[in-house]
Amino acid sequence: MKSKKIFALTMACMMGLGAFAGCAKKKDEILNWNFFAAMHGSEINDGNEIQELIAKDTGIRVKETWLAGQTSAEAIGSIVASGELPEFIDGGDGSEELYKAGYLVAWDDYLAKPEFANLKEMYSDKEWEMFKHEGHIYWANVFQNSYQGKPVSHGFNDEAFWIQVRVLEWANYPTIDTLDDYFKLLEDYYAENKTNADGTKIIPYTCLCEDWRYFCIENAPQFLDGYPNDGSVIVNLDDPNNPKIVDYNTTPTAKRYFAKLNEVYKKGMMDPEFAIQTYDEYMAKLSTGAVLGMCDQWWDFAGTVNDNFKANKLDEKGYNYVPLGPTIDKGMTNRWYIGATDTLNSASGIAVTTSCKDPDKAFKFLNRMLDQDMHNLRFWGIEGTDYLVDENGIFYRTQEMRDKWADSNYTKSHCCMYAYFPQYGGMSRDGKNTMQPGDSTSEFFAGMADPLVKCFKAYGYDSYNQFLRSTDGIVGIWYPMYQFSNNLKTDTDAGVAWTKMGETKHTWLPQIVVADDFESAWNEYMAAYADCKPEEFLKYMQDTLDNLIKS
Amino acid sequence: MSLMGTRSPALKEKNTKAELKRQRVLLIIAALFVVYGIVFYYLPLFGWIMAFQNYKIKDGIFGSEFVGLRWFKFLFSDQTFIRVIRNTLCMGVINLVATTITAIGFAILLNEVRNTFGKKLVQTISYLPHFLSWIVVTGIVHDALSINGVVNELFVNLHIFDEPVSFFSHKEYFWPIVALSNVWKETGWNAIIYLATITSIDPALYEAAAMDGAGRWQKIKHITLPGLRSTIIILLIMNIGNVINAGFEVQYLLTNGFIKPVSETIDIYVLTYGVGKMNYSLGTAAGIFKTFVSLVLIVLFNFIAKKTGDERLF
Repeated sequence: MKSKKIFALTMACMMGLGAFAGCAKKKDEILNWNFFAAMHGSEINDGNEIQELIAKDTGIRVKETWLAGQTSAEAIGSIVASGELPEFIDGGDGSEELYKAGYLVAWDDYLAKPEFANLKEMYSDKEWEMFKHEGHIYWANVFQNSYQGKPVSHGFNDEAFWIQVRVLEWANYPTIDTLDDYFKLLEDYYAENKTNADGTKIIPYTCLCEDWRYFCIENAPQFLDGYPNDGSVIVNLDDPNNPKIVDYNTTPTAKRYFAKLNEVYKKGMMDPEFAIQTYDEYMAKLSTGAVLGMCDQWWDFAGTVNDNFKANKLDEKGYNYVPLGPTIDKGMTNRWYIGATDTLNSASGIAVTTSCKDPDKAFKFLNRMLDQDMHNLRFWGIEGTDYLVDENGIFYRTQEMRDKWADSNYTKSHCCMYAYFPQYGGMSRDGKNTMQPGDSTSEFFAGMADPLVKCFKAYGYDSYNQFLRSTDGIVGIWYPMYQFSNNLKTDTDAGVAWTKMGETKHTWLPQIVVADDFESAWNEYMAAYADCKPEEFLKYMQDTLDNLIKS
Repeated sequence: MSLMGTRSPALKEKNTKAELKRQRVLLIIAALFVVYGIVFYYLPLFGWIMAFQNYKIKDGIFGSEFVGLRWFKFLFSDQTFIRVIRNTLCMGVINLVATTITAIGFAILLNEVRNTFGKKLVQTISYLPHFLSWIVVTGIVHDALSINGVVNELFVNLHIFDEPVSFFSHKEYFWPIVALSNVWKETGWNAIIYLATITSIDPALYEAAAMDGAGRWQKIKHITLPGLRSTIIILLIMNIGNVINAGFEVQYLLTNGFIKPVSETIDIYVLTYGVGKMNYSLGTAAGIFKTFVSLVLIVLFNFIAKKTGDERLF
């Protein structure tokens, strides 16, 4: 009897202990936090290997979610209205609204502390100043930011008229100067090649017009006139002391560009579904290798498309794209590529929200992301599995590893880049390797299929950006101007004008491309455009620019 | 009559009290619904005040600047909004007419089928699409009508089209596409209520008509359709208020730059401005306008129904 009692007591004690142990364990448990980006992206699998490693290291597992079906504005709008926020957020164009609603945590106190030195290091004081709203920093853009401001890129991340290398090879690697040259080349190639080897019909040119991605059809006129990507306006520097805002939508170049597209459409070279395709359909189309050329940003298509080419061995057929930087007339300089500089876009970035119960921990997490070992883990992977280190300390990958990283099944279950969290381009802290594998010279060429290498060799280039043949030159402190227009909302006259201009262009641009009578369609479009009062918007941009130069 | 007249007020009061006591359970249940209605339908109307403010989330409903009719003025000077109203009303009317006619037609045809098994089978299959969500239906419609879709393949192979037609690149096809999608999805479901009404028509009428030598067509014309008349009117009155709810999902999911001028509805406008551009005041103003039109339509149609001496809602 007694022994039974003792047994029971022991059991009770043990259970009590167990419960305590349980509590203690709970404290150490990994926090499951959320991140939302007002962008399209693909979710990684639960239990992703590198994600788990990061979770063990930091105590935080971040579930990344992306836009699904809705537009970015609608997504952020409903988040603002409901007040249900994830711990981390990148609000894109809606960042300003999140701040205005008081949902974001200010960074300033953290940046001042030594334990957040990594975050502080991301930008110079002058650059941080650009992010300030009423004296406080609420987010930091993680893209186009090289370690210590020294980019090393063989890539070209921006907008261009892209062309498949097989077309260039077929024409014996010609020089393309103008828009007319570009379409002439596509036309000539298409005249002799109507279908691919697998029987799919070749589409000489397509043009994405969906939602915010309609920049693919919309903003080429600024480049064709030789200006860099200020995005919403041209900054004319004819009088260097007095920069002037110019609307690129109404220039003679714009008219000629759309007239050209109209001509291309009438010749049957334009994808008949160009205006109605969704982004997914567009990507699927490009991934088959059927599209010879398009105007787009590298980051908008290349990741998925190149991986698909690689996975299906289509890169060996010369389907890869290289960028071209045509101008409207011969003999003009162009600024498609603005040189090896980072572009600071202060309009959006990663932010910590007021829904986060432990902001201190959140900032520690962001800070940790920039430690070299963590950065390597995110972008290079696990040493031995995803990359090897040679005797000189240089990272490299075997072909097998490269193939794996191009396989979406593998990357979903293994790789976790947390790409919208603080990251760097450029050289890594060891001075030998690059922060991102794509920037490493050896990796850059090793990953390429023969036709692409041949194309680089034929032109004597060793980086994508050389294809653009842009003039070097410093961009103004205002660059890019789109950071001042992206956040405009309908509560001001400039914002209303900006919104309506966007809507009008969205509706009209595809219509003028398919119009039977281009001239009358263009006039109608210009009339509709004038009704939006673009002068209100342009005045606002001019004022913003003037104030910026003054300060 | 005389008894009622001689009742004293005291007796009447007593009677009312007794009546109340007798029906207390019913009253409690009814009260619940009244409360529900107040909480979910009337209290939110308070938010309409936003339409007259320059509402900012940070300032809240009490702190936002009052701007009077600014947003209404904005709406009616906005070409987009005018177009959006047109789209909504046109699509609403087309949908209403198309779904009503097909549902009645289908119900009558189905009623004429004598084989019970076949009838049940057709009925079940035809109302199943009702349970699909619009996202699925639009997916099917979008794929079927794409350049490489079934429809194009069929018509090209039958030599009806010379080459594939890009249905979503033409403004003029969009309203019919929406109407057909609605018809495909809802005909079977809507036919149920008409079928039920038809079965309640006295069979003696049909027998008598047969005796007088009426054929099928005549029976439909002179017995079935008049029998359906009151149901049709009531359903029309109820649905007329929905004309302004011409849809959101179909248009939202099937739209693109080309057809946006004909596809945007009031609901989409409210979403883009209200939520997307976070101009809650403008969104609310558009919503109020929509409610107003809806109310006018119902009252008007009810009035017409009353005039013609038919069934009415209120």
